[in-house]
Amino acid sequence: MRYRDDRNQGSPRAQERENRAEPQPHVNIKKKKKNYNRMDKTRARLLITACGFCCLYGAVSFKLTMATILMPLAPQKQQIAPQVPAIPKSDPKGVMSGDFALPQIKRASIIDRNGQILAISLPVAQVYANPLEIIDPADVSKKLKEILPKLDVNQTYERLSSKKQFVYLARDISPQQEVAINNLGIPGLYFEAGERRRYPLGRLASHILGSVDIDDHGIAGVEKYFDQRLMDTRHPLRLSIDTHVQTVVQEEVEAAKNKFQAEAACGIVMDVHTGEILAMISLPDYDSNQFSKAPPNSRFNRATTGMYEPGSTFKLQNVAMALELGVAHIWDRFATAPIRVGRFTIKDLRTDHFPPYLSLPEVMAYSSNPASAHIGLDVGAERQREWMQRMGFLARVPIELPESGRPIVPSIKNWGISTVMTIAFGHGIAESPLAIVRGTAATVNGGILLKPTLLSLQDISNNDLSQQPVDNNAPTPQPKAQGERVLSEKTSETLRKILRLDVTKGTGKNGEVPGYFVGGKTGTSEKVSKSGGYLKHVNVSAFTAVFPMNDPKYAVYVMLDSPKPTKETHGWTTAGWNAAPAVSKIIGRIGPILNLFPNTKDAATIDAQLAIPLRPPVPRGIRPLGPGNDPGDPRLNRPEKNKEKSKKKPSAKASSTRSQ
Amino acid sequence: MSGISRSDNSLLARWWRNIDHWMLGSVGLLIGFGYILMMAASPAVAQRIGASRDVFIFKQVMFLSIAALTIIFISMLSTQTIKKLSIVGTFIAILATAYTLVHGMDIKGAKRWIALPIMSLQPSEFLKPCFAICTAWLLTEWKKRFYIPGIFIALGVYAVILFILKSQPDIGMLAVITAVLLTQLFINGLNMFWIFSGLGGMIAAFVGAYVVLPHVRSRVERFLHPEVGDHYQIDTALRAFGNGGLWGRGPGEGRVKDLLPDAHADFVFAVAGEEYGMIICCLIIFIFCFIVVRTLLKLIKEDDPFIILAASGLITGFGLQAFINMGSTLHLIPTKGMTLPFISYGGSSALSIALTIGMVLALTRRRIEAPQFFKNNNQPFSKRSILR
Repeated sequence: MRYRDDRNQGSPRAQERENRAEPQPHVNIKKKKKNYNRMDKTRARLLITACGFCCLYGAVSFKLTMATILMPLAPQKQQIAPQVPAIPKSDPKGVMSGDFALPQIKRASIIDRNGQILAISLPVAQVYANPLEIIDPADVSKKLKEILPKLDVNQTYERLSSKKQFVYLARDISPQQEVAINNLGIPGLYFEAGERRRYPLGRLASHILGSVDIDDHGIAGVEKYFDQRLMDTRHPLRLSIDTHVQTVVQEEVEAAKNKFQAEAACGIVMDVHTGEILAMISLPDYDSNQFSKAPPNSRFNRATTGMYEPGSTFKLQNVAMALELGVAHIWDRFATAPIRVGRFTIKDLRTDHFPPYLSLPEVMAYSSNPASAHIGLDVGAERQREWMQRMGFLARVPIELPESGRPIVPSIKNWGISTVMTIAFGHGIAESPLAIVRGTAATVNGGILLKPTLLSLQDISNNDLSQQPVDNNAPTPQPKAQGERVLSEKTSETLRKILRLDVTKGTGKNGEVPGYFVGGKTGTSEKVSKSGGYLKHVNVSAFTAVFPMNDPKYAVYVMLDSPKPTKETHGWTTAGWNAAPAVSKIIGRIGPILNLFPNTKDAATIDAQLAIPLRPPVPRGIRPLGPGNDPGDPRLNRPEKNKEKSKKKPSAKASSTRSQ
Repeated sequence: MSGISRSDNSLLARWWRNIDHWMLGSVGLLIGFGYILMMAASPAVAQRIGASRDVFIFKQVMFLSIAALTIIFISMLSTQTIKKLSIVGTFIAILATAYTLVHGMDIKGAKRWIALPIMSLQPSEFLKPCFAICTAWLLTEWKKRFYIPGIFIALGVYAVILFILKSQPDIGMLAVITAVLLTQLFINGLNMFWIFSGLGGMIAAFVGAYVVLPHVRSRVERFLHPEVGDHYQIDTALRAFGNGGLWGRGPGEGRVKDLLPDAHADFVFAVAGEEYGMIICCLIIFIFCFIVVRTLLKLIKEDDPFIILAASGLITGFGLQAFINMGSTLHLIPTKGMTLPFISYGGSSALSIALTIGMVLALTRRRIEAPQFFKNNNQPFSKRSILR
C-alpha cells in the first residue's frame, strides 16, 4: 500500500491536478482529500474489475477443460462417420501390430446343418468423389482403372471433371481394392462402407433362404422370417438343411421334371422323428443372388405355398383315422363298386381288376377310391373333420417361412357326405406338400405329429441353450422333437406295414430301393383348370415315401406337376411311373450321406417282420365289416350301387376323380 | 524494443515508440487465429448457404485487413479527437440503430442490420464503443462546463438506447451495454447501493425479458433443462469440443464442425476446440484475458479519470463480448448471439472491435500532452520526462 500511496502523492498527474486546483480559491483541502480518496477508490475498483474478468475467464477455462478432456461429450457416430472409415485402412498402429481387423458386418451368416455357408454378407465399398477437390481428373481416372479393371475411363473422367460436389465412381468394390485406392492417396476420393449379401450356392435352397433387398432387409424365406435375429446377433443361423441332401433332391427332381416335361416339381426330405427338414426344393427355382430378376412363378415356393389335392396319398390318413378310431380293422373289407354322387361317379381306374370287396391292406395297396370312400363314410363327417383338425390339415403348417399357405378346405357347412367321400381319397381338399409329409411322418414315427422346422435342433444357439453351461464331455443331447401324440404306437406299426406293402406289392413298386425297405403311398390327382373343372389327363402326381420301414428315419416326397407320358411309363402319368422312380433314386443316393447303408443281408428277415397279409384272417368271434355289414353306408347309396351293378355299364367317362 | 531511432520524430515513429506493444502483439495474434479459423469454418458454411467459399474467405480477409488498418489509424488519434469522434459517433449510431427499426434487414427474426452493397451493417456494434466513451466524458468532464451532473444525461441516453435495442430485439447487445455502463459507474466510484440497485434492475429486466420475449425464454429454458427440447446447436458444439480433446483433430480434420450451425460466427470457438484442441483454446482465452487485465492494470497507473473510464468501458465491452461468446459456446451461459472478437466472421463485428481496440490503444498510449504539463515533468521517475 505504501508504494501506491507514494505513487498517488508523487505521480506527476496528481501533482498537476493539485497545481491546477491551486488557482481556484474555493477548492479547499477537504475537497482535495476527497479527490484523492476518489482516485484510490477508482484504482481499487479497477483492480476488482480485473479480478472479476479473471474469474469469468477462469470459469470459461474450467468449462473448456470439462468439455474437452475431463468429461468430453463423444461425437455421434454419424457426425464423424467419414473420419473413421470402416475399412481395414492403412492405420499405422494396426499395420505395426499385424492387426488387420475386418470391418463389422451387421447381418449374420446362414449355414446348413454341417456348417456349409448358405448366405453370407461380404464387406464392400462404394467409391465416390468430390470433383471440386480433384486436382487432375485424367490422372485419377487412369490410376483408378489400374485397380478397377471394369472402370470406364472416359465416363470417370467426365464425372471427375464435372462441377458437382458428389459423384459415384464405382460400386461394390472389394476391401482389397479399397485399400489399394486408399493407398493412392488421392485427395477428393471417398469410400462409403457397405455390405452385400451373397449366396455362394446360387440356386441351391433359394426358396428356403429367400433374399434381401438393397438395404439388407429380408424380403423372402428365412431371411425375412429371421430378419431381426440375423441383424441382432452375428452368430450364424444354422438351418436343418443338409446341402448334400438338398443337392441330390434338386438334381433328381429336376431330372424327373425334365424327363417328364413337368411344369413344376417339388421335393422334400424330412426327419420323421425331429421334424427337421433336410431338403426342400421347388422347381422352377431362382438364384438368390438375383432374386429381383426372378419371375413370380420361380419365386413361388410350391412346398409350402402350393396347394394341391393330395390324391391317394391321403388314403393313408383315411386309414390311419379309421384304425385309430377303431371304426375299421385290418381284416375288414370294403366294396369297390363305383359310387354315384349326384352327377359324379366315384370309381377306380381299373375297376374290372378288382373284386367287389377288398380287404383294408388291399384297399391301400391297389388304391381303391370307392373302398376308401366307404371307410370315410364309416367314420362320418363330424369325426373326420375333428380328425383333420387334430392332424393340422385345416390350418397353416407351422414352418419358419413367411411363405406358408393356408390349405383349401371345405367349410363346415359344406362338409357333407360327398365331401366325406372325396376327402377319404384325397380330393375336394388342397394341402401343401409339407403338410402331407408332416402327416405321413406322424403315421410312421409312432404317432407323434411334429412341428416341421428349418432350424437345426442340434445347434445349441437355435435352442436358446446358450445360457446353459456347455459340458464338452457330455454326449450330444438328443434333439428333442416338439410334437403331440395323435396315433397309438400300435396303429403306427400297422400303418408302417401297410406302407411297405404298397411298395412291395402295390402301386409304389417303382419306389423300392434294395436294402432300404422303402414304404410309401402314391397319389395322383387331376389338375384343376382355371375355369374350375378337372382337366383330363393332366395330373399332379406325388409319391410320399418313408425309409427304412423297419426303423423309419426319413420321409421323402416328390411331386410332379403336369408330367407328360413317355414310352417307359406306357402312357401313364400316374405317380407310380414318374414320382416313385425319382424317390427311389433319391433314397439310393441320400441314404449313405445320412449314414444309412442298404441292409441286404437281413433283407428276408426284415421283410418278413414287415409283411402283412393282403387278406388278414379275421379273429374268432368278430364280425368283420364286409358284404352285408357296412354301417357307414348311407341308405341312399345302396339303391345306387345296386343300380350300378345291374347296369354293369358305369358311365366311366363321367367320373370326376380317379386314383391309382 | 522499438527498433526505430529515437531521433526519428516522424508520426509513425512516435506512434511506434508510444504504443503498447504487448497489446498490439496480442491483437495481431487474435487476427491470425481469426484467419486460420475462418479457413476452417467457412467451407462448410459456404456450402450450406450456397455461397462460394472463395468469396467467403476473400471477404473476411478484406474485413480483417481493414480492421488492422483501422486499429493502426485510430490508435494514432489523440484523446481529444477520439472524444469528439465518439460523441458524434454515438449520435449517428443511435440514429442508425433507430433506423433499423424502420428499414432494417430481417435476419433470423431480428431487425439489426442495414443492408449495404458489400455487407450488411449492424449499427449497434458501433454504438457500444462510442457510448462507452461518451459515458466516460459525461461522467468526468461534463460537469466542469455545465454544472449539471453528467450521470443523468448518460442515463437519459442509455434509456433511449434501451428502448431501441429492446425493440429490435437485441438483448445480448443491451446486456453488454448495460454491463459496461454499470462497470463504468462502479469504477467511477458510485455508491455501492446504486451499483447493487443497477444489478438488481438488470436481473429484474432479465426476468422481465424472460416473461415477455419468447425467444429469450426458450433459450433460458434450454439452458436450464438441457435434456428437454431442442438443444441441437449447443449439443453439437460440445461434441465438437469432445471430439477435439487436448490436442485437437488437426487443421482441416474437424468433422462435427460441418454440422455446426453458425460455425463461422457464433460457434467459431467450437471449431477451434475440435481442430486445435484445448491447448489452443486455452491460449485464446488467455490472450483475451491478457488484453483485458493488462489494460485494466495499466489504467491503475493512469490519473486522468476520463481516460480511466473510457478505456475501462471499452475493454469491459470487449472482454464481456468474448466471455459471452465463449461461455455460450461451452454451455456456461444461455446461448446468446455474440461474435468472438477478431475470430468470428463478420464485417460489422470486425470493424467495431477494431474501433474499440484502436481507441483503447490510443487512450493508453504514452502521450505528449498539452504544453501546460511541461513544467511538471521534472519528476525523476516520470516516464514522460524521457519522452520529450
